Amino acid sequence: MTEAATAAGAVSRESLDARLATSPGWLADRRNAAWDAFTAMPAPSSARDEDWRRTDIGRLHLDRFGPAGPAAPGLLELARSRHATALPGAALLVSEPAGTVTIDNAEALLAQGVIISSLEEAAERHPELVQRGLSGIGIDDSYFAALWNSLWLGGAFVYVPAGVQAMTPVWVSHLAAGADAAAFPATVVVLDGHASLTLVEDLVGPAADPAARVSVAVTALQLGDDARLDDIPVQQLPPATWHFALRRASCGPSAHYRLLGATLGARLQKSYWDVILDGRGAEADILAVCFADADQHLDHQSLQLHRGPDTRSNLLLKVAARDRAQSVYGGLIDVEPGAIHADGYVVNRNLLLSQGASASGVPRLEIKANDVRCGHGTTVGHVDDEERFYLMARGIPADEAERLVVRGYFADVLDRLPIESTRDWLVSLLDSEIGDRGPSRFGEAG
Amino acid sequence: MPETAGGAQVVVAGSGAVVAPTTELHVDGLRVAVEGKPILDGVDLRVPVGEVHVLMGPNGSGKSTLAYSLMGHPKYKVTGGSASFDGQDLLALTPDRRAQLGLFLSFQNPIAIPGVTTVNFLRAALRAQGKELPAREFIARLGEEMGSLRMDASFRGRYINDGFSGGEKKRAEILQLAMLEPRLAILDEPDSGLDVDALRIVAEGVLRVMEKSEGRMGVLLITHYYRILENLTPDRVHIMHQGKIVDSGGPELAHVIEREGYDPYITATSPTGPEVSRR
Repeated sequence: MTEAATAAGAVSRESLDARLATSPGWLADRRNAAWDAFTAMPAPSSARDEDWRRTDIGRLHLDRFGPAGPAAPGLLELARSRHATALPGAALLVSEPAGTVTIDNAEALLAQGVIISSLEEAAERHPELVQRGLSGIGIDDSYFAALWNSLWLGGAFVYVPAGVQAMTPVWVSHLAAGADAAAFPATVVVLDGHASLTLVEDLVGPAADPAARVSVAVTALQLGDDARLDDIPVQQLPPATWHFALRRASCGPSAHYRLLGATLGARLQKSYWDVILDGRGAEADILAVCFADADQHLDHQSLQLHRGPDTRSNLLLKVAARDRAQSVYGGLIDVEPGAIHADGYVVNRNLLLSQGASASGVPRLEIKANDVRCGHGTTVGHVDDEERFYLMARGIPADEAERLVVRGYFADVLDRLPIESTRDWLVSLLDSEIGDRGPSRFGEAG
Repeated sequence: MPETAGGAQVVVAGSGAVVAPTTELHVDGLRVAVEGKPILDGVDLRVPVGEVHVLMGPNGSGKSTLAYSLMGHPKYKVTGGSASFDGQDLLALTPDRRAQLGLFLSFQNPIAIPGVTTVNFLRAALRAQGKELPAREFIARLGEEMGSLRMDASFRGRYINDGFSGGEKKRAEILQLAMLEPRLAILDEPDSGLDVDALRIVAEGVLRVMEKSEGRMGVLLITHYYRILENLTPDRVHIMHQGKIVDSGGPELAHVIEREGYDPYITATSPTGPEVSRR
């Protein structure tokens, strides 16, 4: 405790003061209130908090992480090359952990009246839009949300005006903090009525860097009346990262939110994916893959909150875990009394590739409305002996057979990604995570 | 290399030692148990490359067990005897190594592997066997073979065996046979459940692969039906009963089975094990 009082760590009064000095009044008030909430709250505990029961962060000492310095050498280039490979036509916003934000290739969007800027800049210039964007994130929603609300910097802001179909996607790269440092990635997106956008959020760091880091992220998404958002979050943080994330999409009437995500990195992740279906007829499809190996502990929590009538949601999370990796999933479909004719579904599938790997999935339903259709399911399986034998009987060695089965297992999610270059990129990320020894990437021939 | 057509030739090498000249499957006294239950009770069998051998026998006699055991399914435990191909001890090899050696098993009911397309599956198999083709050549060959088997082009992108009908699965197995060009094809009931037209397509497919191999592929065909043999004339027919080969002969033996069934074997063999057979 004495350390915390003396060192100017990332999580400190000094950090807060530095943020307050550069924040407009409304934001400074918000940061102050969030800091008060954060310091008054105990850290989540696996003994006390139900949704933390299977994820123990007792060994996390936030006071040991320093403020983020400049991005690691080569990291900027890595982030840019991922964009260039997967979706070169997208506008690119790179947010560095120390707050520097650079934007490229956004001319077409700006000409459409789309706002794309650092979140800090937007907080100065478009306070009402940023406040709208943040309206779904309470300052004291949780310990890590409060921390983020007080200390985020840099960040990405995108606003698409009413009726505008964004001509190009937006690619947001959040670079990981340096060794023993903390980053607070921030993305806020506001879509007005009848607007549409494709967003990629890439959390990227040096792939093999064994240094500890912490990442506390919030992605706040507001979809107006009949808006469409395709949201592609990719988390591939370095292997010793503690990652805490909240991603919340609030959907107005007839809005359609589609998430297609991949979770690959970090040592320990606790990630919340919330969709709030406020308006009549709002819809959400959440499809994600997760590959965990070594000692990774990857925890996904989801909320499908049906508030409006005739709302629909569907979630599928497919996990493959190897070595000693652990997957934890908890999901809730919450149907409020006004949400008649709600239709909600949640499924968590797990494929265990090693004796030491484990997975737990606990989807739940809370239904307070009549005339609804809701379902949930969870499965845990292994690579089937018959599948393995069939592949081996064709000459394919056991380890390659396993890789084929795992790729196949993820295919039904990845095949839903309509952008071919992005899908190929995600497949290649998964291939390298699974460990591909083949001479070429294993794509479709021809 | 001396080309041989029959199974029993030997040549005298320069030194005067007698060696077997043929590449062949050589099974000697093979005993196999499944989950502790003995199924094969000393199988002796030789299948030289270039020949078609047919294995017939009543249900439960051990035909499929022999096929799976030769390919190395982990569920089938070898408790005695030996099996070799081209002089190599098969029993010491994992299934992938057996396939790389030239063995192929056409499954009676192949499993679906969701998410793995037929194309990607075949490319992985060819690569693993060191037979990878340039993409264009591969696609051309695949198109040709699929055409011969009257398979729709959509099968390329479909997940292997996933949602295939029984007949489509059989054809997909023969497609793999054609693409992989093994030296020994073990075909486990490639004709079961097929209508007349589908049966002819499958039989012609096997025949085409045989002809293309120019005597470098042997076939061990497991079947219940005489009909497929109208297209594929066997060199030898073996009858299996209670885990043993109880009779072998030329193609005429299949005619006898077609007419008389297996009853003569069943009644002939039961007295040899009275304690067992009366229970």
